[in-house]
Amino acid sequence: MATLIAQQQPTARPVKPTTQLRTTLWLLVSLIVVAAFWSVQIKWSSLADFPSQLIKYLGLMLFPPDWSKFGEAFKATILSVQMAWIGTILGIIVSFPLSFLASRGLAPRAVNAPLRFIFAVIRAVPEVVIAILILSVTGLTPFTGALALAVGSIGTLGKWGYEAFEGVDPGPKEAVRSTGGGTLALIRWGVWPSAAPEVLSFWLYRFEINVRASAILGLIGAGGIGKMLQDNVQFRNWDAVGMLLVVVVVVTMAIDQISGAVRNKLIHGTWRAPRRAS
Amino acid sequence: MEHTAADIRFSDVSVTYPNGYTGLKTIDLNIPAGEMVGIVGLSGAGKSTLIRTINGLVPITSGSITVGAHQLNGRGGAQLRGKDLRELRSNVGMVFQSFNLAKRTTVLNNVLMGRLYHTSAWRILLGAWKNDDVELAMSALERVEIVPKAYEKASSLSGGQQQRVAIARTLAQRPQVILADEPVASLDPPTSHVVMRDLQRINADLGITVMVNLHFLDLARRYSDRLIGLRSGEVVFDGAGADADESVFENIYGRSLTAEDVLDGQAVL
Ligand SMILES: Nc1ncnc2c1ncn2[C@@H]1O[C@H](COP(=O)(O)OP(=O)(O)OP(=O)(O)O)[C@@H](O)[C@H]1O
Ligand SMILES: [Mg+2]
Repeated sequence: MATLIAQQQPTARPVKPTTQLRTTLWLLVSLIVVAAFWSVQIKWSSLADFPSQLIKYLGLMLFPPDWSKFGEAFKATILSVQMAWIGTILGIIVSFPLSFLASRGLAPRAVNAPLRFIFAVIRAVPEVVIAILILSVTGLTPFTGALALAVGSIGTLGKWGYEAFEGVDPGPKEAVRSTGGGTLALIRWGVWPSAAPEVLSFWLYRFEINVRASAILGLIGAGGIGKMLQDNVQFRNWDAVGMLLVVVVVVTMAIDQISGAVRNKLIHGTWRAPRRAS
Repeated sequence: MEHTAADIRFSDVSVTYPNGYTGLKTIDLNIPAGEMVGIVGLSGAGKSTLIRTINGLVPITSGSITVGAHQLNGRGGAQLRGKDLRELRSNVGMVFQSFNLAKRTTVLNNVLMGRLYHTSAWRILLGAWKNDDVELAMSALERVEIVPKAYEKASSLSGGQQQRVAIARTLAQRPQVILADEPVASLDPPTSHVVMRDLQRINADLGITVMVNLHFLDLARRYSDRLIGLRSGEVVFDGAGADADESVFENIYGRSLTAEDVLDGQAVL
């Protein structure tokens, strides 16, 4: 047979890796998806009613909304945003040092592992459930909501933090070590300058999430806009509910826009997200 | 700037990596303080390994290395760690192929990173450098002619300038030794000469030992007093650059010279 290159000893050809495991996994996932559809027993008839019902209630809420309680709604919104703000700040204060301790190479493995586990457990529990757990100790106050958001934030911020710290360019870290710097120097000058913009933007992003979550916590009674929404739904004041929805949507979108712009500034240096080169 | 000198001595040093690969085999070397040493060899010959054993970035498996008053031992021997290891490192500056600057902070902060060993915890945390250290960093920048850029972000500098900042960072350490691992491999030829001349002048003016891994043979011959040739983890040449003729290089490289082995693009020395 003709060879493509002149060579005395052909190098050993690598064996093609088997894909059995991958195939099995795909099959399994497909099966689970099919089984899931089968078992939820979708009521197709109520699905058909859904559009007309939606239109009916939207009409009740928004044509026109009742603005008489706007002042109260505004105060409730401020309360919700405060809940989110305090929750985020507390979450940052606790998660920031912990995420360094959870980073491989910055603290011993024996410290990394339990922290990562704790972050994972927290992330697995929705804020509402955390709030219900805390509520049994503190009772129902807006601060309960803030605490629940703080705990929830620790789970995500902790993980995002250590992932960011572990993902930084190893070059500066090596440089710090080569000058005789210790762990503190390594963190402050080998890791932080590279990770800072990303981590700051995570904090803002988590604040955006907490603003949304704070409204939901209101539904279980933690106060703020969510509680007001809940009360009005109970008494079927649909036009007031409509007004509250408008307020929630406008405030949330405004905060998202501002925070998103700041995040873009931090990461890309411009207020608007850069267009992807195609 | 005052600098004290330190001899470097390798006694029977071997390095075996965790995967079982032998990076260095029974190296014996004596490098008196103040020498300018070029290290050449094929990719994988062990140049980086050799240089990184000196500041303990690569631990040695057997034998011992002394750097001034410090001693690094192989497995089983007393290990230099913690504060002692950091003290050794504070005396040994290192320059890397990819500069290894903290790109998002200022040039000055990068140079001041050379003072970390001597800086207290709260100053490190706040970046509240001592005035003396700032002045030391400025004079280090002066030597590589980048003072006007002190407060610019490191990322805004060209590759050559970044490498010179990295050299200033090692100078801020007031080191006895500077190790450079292919410092010009990512630079164009004219810039390579600028950076090599910086190192040469630092060696000549300050008496700092400079050990530099180089890919290009002509650069190595031109800028070093002493040339060490490595092949498969062993020293196969050790002598004056002028004595290293083509047959010596064939021994180091295991083949004849090609245009790729020299910076100036011609397979002659
Ligand atoms: N951490 C490591 N683990 C295992 N093997 C390694 C490790 N680092 C280097 N080696 C191996 O040791 C040998 C010497 O590597 P070294 O980096 O010292 O070579 P070099 O002469 O600097 O090469 P180059 O010119 O490519 O930088 C190489 O074969 C390399 O694959
Ligand atoms: Mg190398």
